[in-house]
Amino acid sequence: MSNNYFNSLSLREQLEQLGKCRFMHLEEFSDGVDALKGKKMVVIGCGAQGLNQGLNLRDSGLDVSYTLREAAITEKRQSWKNATENGFTVGTYEDLIPTADVVLNLTPDKQHTPVVNAVMPLMKKGACLSYSHGFNIVEEGMKIREDITVIMVAPKCPGSEVRAEYVRGFGVPTLIAVHEDNDPQGEGLALAKAYAVGTGGHKAGVLMSSFVAEVKSDLMGEQTILCGMLQTGSLLCFDKMIEEGIDPGYASKLIQYGWETVTEALKYGGVTNMMDRLSNPAKIKAFDLAEEMKTIMRPLYNKHQDDIMTGHFSQTMMADWANDDKQLLGWRADTAETAYEKTPAGDVEISEQEYFDNGILMVAMVKAGVELAFETMTAAGIIADSAYYESLHETPLIANTIARKKLYEMNSTISDTAEYGCYLYNHACVPLLGDFMKNIKTDVIGAGLQLNHTGVDNARLIEVNEAIRSHPVEAIGAELRGYMSDMKKIV
Amino acid sequence: MPLPYSISLKNATVNFDGGYAFKNINWSIHPEHHWLICGSNGSGKSALAAILSGTGDIENGIIKNLPPRTGVVSFEAQAELIEAERRKDDADIMDVIAIGTPVSEIIADVCKDQPLADSLCEKFGLTPLLDRAFRKLSTGESRKVMLIRALTCDPQLLILDEPFEGLDVNSLRALQQHLQTISATTTIVMVLNRLDQCPEFITHVAYVDNGELTQQVSRTDTEAWQQLNDLLHLQTADLEVPPTDIDTSLPALDPAAPLVKITDGAIKYDDTIIFDQLNWTINPGRHWQLTGPNGSGKTALLSLITGDHPQCYVNNIHVFGFKRGSGESIWQIKQFIGYVSTALQWEYTVGTSLRNVIISGFYDSIGLYSKYTDNQRNIADLWLEVLGMQSRADETFTSQSYGDQRLLLIARAMVKHPPLLILDEPCLGLDDMNRQRVLALIEIICTRSGSTVLYVNHHAEDKIAGIEHHLALDDFSRQ
Repeated sequence: MSNNYFNSLSLREQLEQLGKCRFMHLEEFSDGVDALKGKKMVVIGCGAQGLNQGLNLRDSGLDVSYTLREAAITEKRQSWKNATENGFTVGTYEDLIPTADVVLNLTPDKQHTPVVNAVMPLMKKGACLSYSHGFNIVEEGMKIREDITVIMVAPKCPGSEVRAEYVRGFGVPTLIAVHEDNDPQGEGLALAKAYAVGTGGHKAGVLMSSFVAEVKSDLMGEQTILCGMLQTGSLLCFDKMIEEGIDPGYASKLIQYGWETVTEALKYGGVTNMMDRLSNPAKIKAFDLAEEMKTIMRPLYNKHQDDIMTGHFSQTMMADWANDDKQLLGWRADTAETAYEKTPAGDVEISEQEYFDNGILMVAMVKAGVELAFETMTAAGIIADSAYYESLHETPLIANTIARKKLYEMNSTISDTAEYGCYLYNHACVPLLGDFMKNIKTDVIGAGLQLNHTGVDNARLIEVNEAIRSHPVEAIGAELRGYMSDMKKIV
Repeated sequence: MPLPYSISLKNATVNFDGGYAFKNINWSIHPEHHWLICGSNGSGKSALAAILSGTGDIENGIIKNLPPRTGVVSFEAQAELIEAERRKDDADIMDVIAIGTPVSEIIADVCKDQPLADSLCEKFGLTPLLDRAFRKLSTGESRKVMLIRALTCDPQLLILDEPFEGLDVNSLRALQQHLQTISATTTIVMVLNRLDQCPEFITHVAYVDNGELTQQVSRTDTEAWQQLNDLLHLQTADLEVPPTDIDTSLPALDPAAPLVKITDGAIKYDDTIIFDQLNWTINPGRHWQLTGPNGSGKTALLSLITGDHPQCYVNNIHVFGFKRGSGESIWQIKQFIGYVSTALQWEYTVGTSLRNVIISGFYDSIGLYSKYTDNQRNIADLWLEVLGMQSRADETFTSQSYGDQRLLLIARAMVKHPPLLILDEPCLGLDDMNRQRVLALIEIICTRSGSTVLYVNHHAEDKIAGIEHHLALDDFSRQ
């Protein structure tokens, strides 16, 4: 049904596209939104990304309106309400697309093919089509009319945060790209930069990448460490605690808020800082557990990356799309039935430090997942900057969604693509860690190390610290966080 | 000899000449306590002190156990004595040049302890002036005479109204030492403008506001003591609004054009109308108060002006020369506005320093994301001085008290001298003391800066001097 664009490239081109990634400096955005000034921007779709990006662009002085399918307008669906209550002009494709200089496709991946097929004939000659995710181009091989410029502007945060940070006078890290096959007037980069300024992204850091690198790294990150590892970790840790007699309310709370708490430390100071929040004996314990899990899980991470690169993953998922999402909906229902999901968080006080002390295994899982995803991506030709954003950087964002309403909230916030991939990961990873989990006791999950003395061997501690600090994700992380804090004082 | 009983005032209202009244005093002065009376200028501090020396007519209530021997030092008492001397001079019917009463006699008049008087004269450097006529003395010198009279009359109660004012360093130190010594046996009530001059022996503070004794704070209540200190800093220090940063000065506005003009304004959701047909023009220099019940859309109306309400794009709004929705960015609007509200305080959950919070006002951002200049930093430090928080510049904003946060956000809003300052219920959620601090700061701003103030509040008592226009939103709501 589709021609995978990536697979149509030569190995040389594939490597070139995958390796495309550069952190842009603030000075490169000195033209502001000029390239879009006076142009008519029409957004397709008014969900969280669509609405919030549109609000930012309009507040930056740009001309924004929304186009929805006719049914959404006549039935006054939520997307119609979102747009009209915020004072935007709303019209059908036929009304608005022919007037648009830039069409912003902010619909879910699954709808891209029908949407693009519907709007492309209506677009005026030489207009620009913008994506927030390159799946349609790269995995489905969508061919866009030759006169049309195709760009991508992808804020690396949920839509609500895209808006909240803009209102504060800041922005969220953003990835931009120009589809080289569709840049007839050579204006793609200027448009993408102006768009990033319009959403405030330039203040928080912009990564100039390619459609290919974005898709292949984004899919990998979301399936493995971001959603997959956190889901698998939640289920395994909860079941273990129940098995060991920990109070279910406590266990549920430790997990629900634990991911958010430990990854907050990750956000500020990388894996090093997260590990430093543990006592010395606990740190060594977490390190050993993470090493063990990395050995067990490495083949799984490799398989995910391989399936993404070959297109096997997208093919499987698109088959499910064609089958009315049967698998996806079934897996979603199964998750809702898990013991963890059904046990509400207890009314117990857990201090910030206690989440670390009693959640050593969770810290180890985050460390193992972040490092493995990063290692696997960079081994596949993805540049470290990209790999950092798609692994470590986004982990706290996903952890926040679990804190709000457990896995249900995570799965309803992330894209269907991420959700589908995350179930694949979970189904493979739970049995994979089966033997490992047999040896796990409450000292590393639920109750903390019960030690009479907290002494450690100096040589061993030095060795462990050195290993944590010298991981390549720490070097690039320190650099990128440094750029960010140059511009922002603190999150 | 110390006071035998506590002085007690119950529901006392005292009238003074000229119609001034100090109302409803409930106060008890224990013989072993020493009180400091403080409050802003004109609040009635001196009147309260004077009541203890028997001045004024008691209209209501009871005042008991005022001691027979009281030593008083005040500008009024000083002026009275000088006036009496002058009258003596005028009354002289003999055709000789009057030399006036010598200082030594003025002192001896009331003195019960000549050795003490001699020693104090020595310490105050008055000895060479003892033979000089009292009315020939300078203000500072005659003040010292007043002090010696009060201290040597064997008082049971000493009432000292600004006793340190105008004293040279040596005399000041001598006086402080002497007061410290006699505080063991003599009850002292002192009026001072500032708590930071407060001597160690003072045990309690009486805070006077607008002719009423509103707060009584014991020194042992350290939190209340600190709050009082902060309030007095704003009310009594001679504060100036710091300058703005010349390098980031705002684009010039047409002085004849309105700052804001809303024509047929409306906010509507689905089928709910928050308000409609609202017409409002805010001209420069005209301060406005906006009132209305909860839900009448006060904050929504303000956010049409600030650009925070998305429906500003479907309204006919002119702000600072821009017609909204004509290609201007929200930052071009916000640069002209200083904004403070409870909601802003809730949103300002950024772990940054007090100094950075104030600097962020130059960038209209919540948190600081730009490299600031040295000049901006200096201005922020001047504002911290105004607030009395200079020593806390590097502490984190979120660890400050609720009231201090509010004051910091007002300074943040003012730092760029915005043409329009919007204060959306700036006193909401504040206790009495902090409310007074906020109002004191706003008053400084209203009277000493060029900003047009738009003030939203439904507490009638929180009036601010200089606001004469009023928009009541309930007239417009169409629920």
